[in-house]
Amino acid sequence: MPVEFKLPDLGEGIHEGEVIEVLVKAGDQVEDGQTALVIETDKATAEVPCPVTGTVLDIRVKPGQTVRVGEVLIVFSKQGEKEQKLAPPPGTYEEEKGPGEKKEEIKAAEAAESQKPAPTPVGLVAAAPSTRRLARELGIDIAKVHPSGPGDRVTPEDVRAFAEKKPGPEAKKEPIPEPAPITAEPVPPPGVLGSEERIALRSVRRATAKRVAAAWATIPHVTHMDVADLTALDAFRRRHKERVQAQGADLSLMVFVIKAAAAALKQFPYFNSSLDMESGEIILKHYRNIGFAMDTDRGLLVPVIRNVDCKSILELALAFKEVSEKTRKGQATNEDLSGGTFTITNVGPMGGTGITPIINHPEAAILGMARARLQPVVIGDINDFEIAPRLMLPLSITFDHRILDGAQAARFLNVIKAQLEEPETLLMMS
Amino acid sequence: MPNREIDIAYRVKYLSILDQEGQIDQELDPHLPGELLLKFYRAMVLARRFDERMLILQRQGKIGTFAPIKGQEAQIGAAAALLPEDWIVPSFREAPVELWRGKPMERMLLYYSGYSEGGRIQEGLNMLPVSVPVGSQMTHAVGIALGMQYRDQKSVAATFFGDGATSQGDFHEALNFASVYRLPVIFLCQNNHWAISLPRSRQTNSATLAQKAIAYDMPGVQVDGNDVLAVYCAVKEAAKRCRAGDGPTLIEMVTYRLSMHTTADDPKKYRTEQEVAEWEKRDPITRFEKYLTERQILGEGQIRATAEEIKTQIASAESRWQEIMAKGIDPLDMFDHAYAELTPSLLDQKEIVARELEEKK
Repeated sequence: MPVEFKLPDLGEGIHEGEVIEVLVKAGDQVEDGQTALVIETDKATAEVPCPVTGTVLDIRVKPGQTVRVGEVLIVFSKQGEKEQKLAPPPGTYEEEKGPGEKKEEIKAAEAAESQKPAPTPVGLVAAAPSTRRLARELGIDIAKVHPSGPGDRVTPEDVRAFAEKKPGPEAKKEPIPEPAPITAEPVPPPGVLGSEERIALRSVRRATAKRVAAAWATIPHVTHMDVADLTALDAFRRRHKERVQAQGADLSLMVFVIKAAAAALKQFPYFNSSLDMESGEIILKHYRNIGFAMDTDRGLLVPVIRNVDCKSILELALAFKEVSEKTRKGQATNEDLSGGTFTITNVGPMGGTGITPIINHPEAAILGMARARLQPVVIGDINDFEIAPRLMLPLSITFDHRILDGAQAARFLNVIKAQLEEPETLLMMS
Repeated sequence: MPNREIDIAYRVKYLSILDQEGQIDQELDPHLPGELLLKFYRAMVLARRFDERMLILQRQGKIGTFAPIKGQEAQIGAAAALLPEDWIVPSFREAPVELWRGKPMERMLLYYSGYSEGGRIQEGLNMLPVSVPVGSQMTHAVGIALGMQYRDQKSVAATFFGDGATSQGDFHEALNFASVYRLPVIFLCQNNHWAISLPRSRQTNSATLAQKAIAYDMPGVQVDGNDVLAVYCAVKEAAKRCRAGDGPTLIEMVTYRLSMHTTADDPKKYRTEQEVAEWEKRDPITRFEKYLTERQILGEGQIRATAEEIKTQIASAESRWQEIMAKGIDPLDMFDHAYAELTPSLLDQKEIVARELEEKK
């Protein structure tokens, strides 16, 4: 008789958990008590042991999957009993198992995920339930009440004082919109209109979904755009390309942009910060680690180059090559994929005239690059000009409007632009 | 009107005999027979292994929530210092003491499988069942001691509780009552530094927990709770005082819970791994094993043989537990052990349950 091992209630009243790791595979000989899975619940991360001594017949779960108490996780055959082949239950997992994702990478992506502080939804107010009720009864939007209690807590007195100043109906106007739901979206009805397919949201895709939704819901994004003339830089790049190649790296446009951004971050420290809403503080970081978004087989990953402001162009080129290759091969460690303070995303190789990227929470801004193209550019003024073909790069800087304003973004982007337009300045700054 | 200070002659004693390197204090060495020392060793190893096995059984969904004892095995020293006629009133982290007293492992497994029968203590073991509500058991011990005094018995009631329980009103009521009536109670506080996620530093502002005895004018002793010899000696002395009619003692055993509070929490979320690593160096078993090995009371072969023996012992307890579970248990049993005589309402309930069971057949 095969033993179906179901998810036990790992804590008190736990209903579900997420599979973090699967440590056995079909065909393994296992001992009673040997760790089979690592499962994270709301309360704890627990190692789940094999229930019998015997053989693993079938594993029904994968890392990243959410499992409910009572769901079959693994099927074992007990030692001394004849092994049986099991038909997979219909529709419980995808037809193709493949080699599976690289465990390390999923862990890294998820670890990076878990390191981020929980996003503070817009309009989250600290108040006792009784105070909230009072506000509801008075028809007051509690988010508008000035808090006087400890830890910015809204007290009943605050609510009453607010009610006296503003009569209920007026207070009801212009309610601050509810934050967008971060996780739970309404589930569309099953395919009544035609054939459909359901793909489990897993690993990197899932981490990305959670991250961008949280950033989008929390951060008021503003994007400022400009175009940089790369003609001189491109000539400079071509002149020095081979020398850098000889050192084992590529002198790509990205390397120059990282270099330029490093200098700009030094000059504008608020672009290298995080907002701690809970304490009401902006955290200025005295280190500058730039992450760059990479489209990989496994999804969007953001490897990080550390201390960019302390590296020369050659060193940046080497670091960029090393970490991007590692990431492409799926060998990036958790450290490679975390600890960024600013992100650059370059959609240029694929095309595009401009992008509005989403901030990599909890960073303050993200720099976007679209495709550099030869454009006819008017040089001079209306009385004396020429039109010349120039290599133009569309740049965009998306910033957290809670921390930064449009004017700062324009100045920040001007500094980057100026460096890219006059490559010599890259050597002068930072 | 005089305005003067009242002198209270008081001090809190600290006792440590075997340090974390396994070095014994020659002056304090109680010179216990080798056979007893080996018994200590075996009991602590059994407690550790059984605890580890229970954690696996819990994660397999075979038993419910329980409170792991890992790191607190030296508590057996307290049980060893008592006589069989003395009463033990545990909280919920005294599995080593229960094992020492002779509570069968299958009973403990039964209890954590949700069967009240598992809480039943065999006649003659003089021990109360596990008490889950924090601090509730201390007053029970005081009541038992009052009964002993009333009956002119020379026995002792020893009760265990944690650092968190010292913030409960029951703790102070129990100490006060025991002291006023000079009752033969030993209050054994297992200060394992964490009341679930609340650290000892936030539990009380007192420098020691032992000094809480001062207010009740009873001796307060702090011992290295990971030193089985110190625990043994301190409890032995307290028991002596009890039997001589000199009243209660509060003993703070300074120890550390190396594992989780219960299987439902994750200590990584509230304490550092570094702190745990520091306490692992003070492991009660490691130092005792080292001491016994250096004194050539214990050899390599014996360590291995003990480990094997314990493995078999636990496995056979597990199969006995499985047998009991498979056989099934009479639900009416639940009425039979709380009261000597059933109250009228419980009698009614028992009849109702009996009737319903009959109808279901």
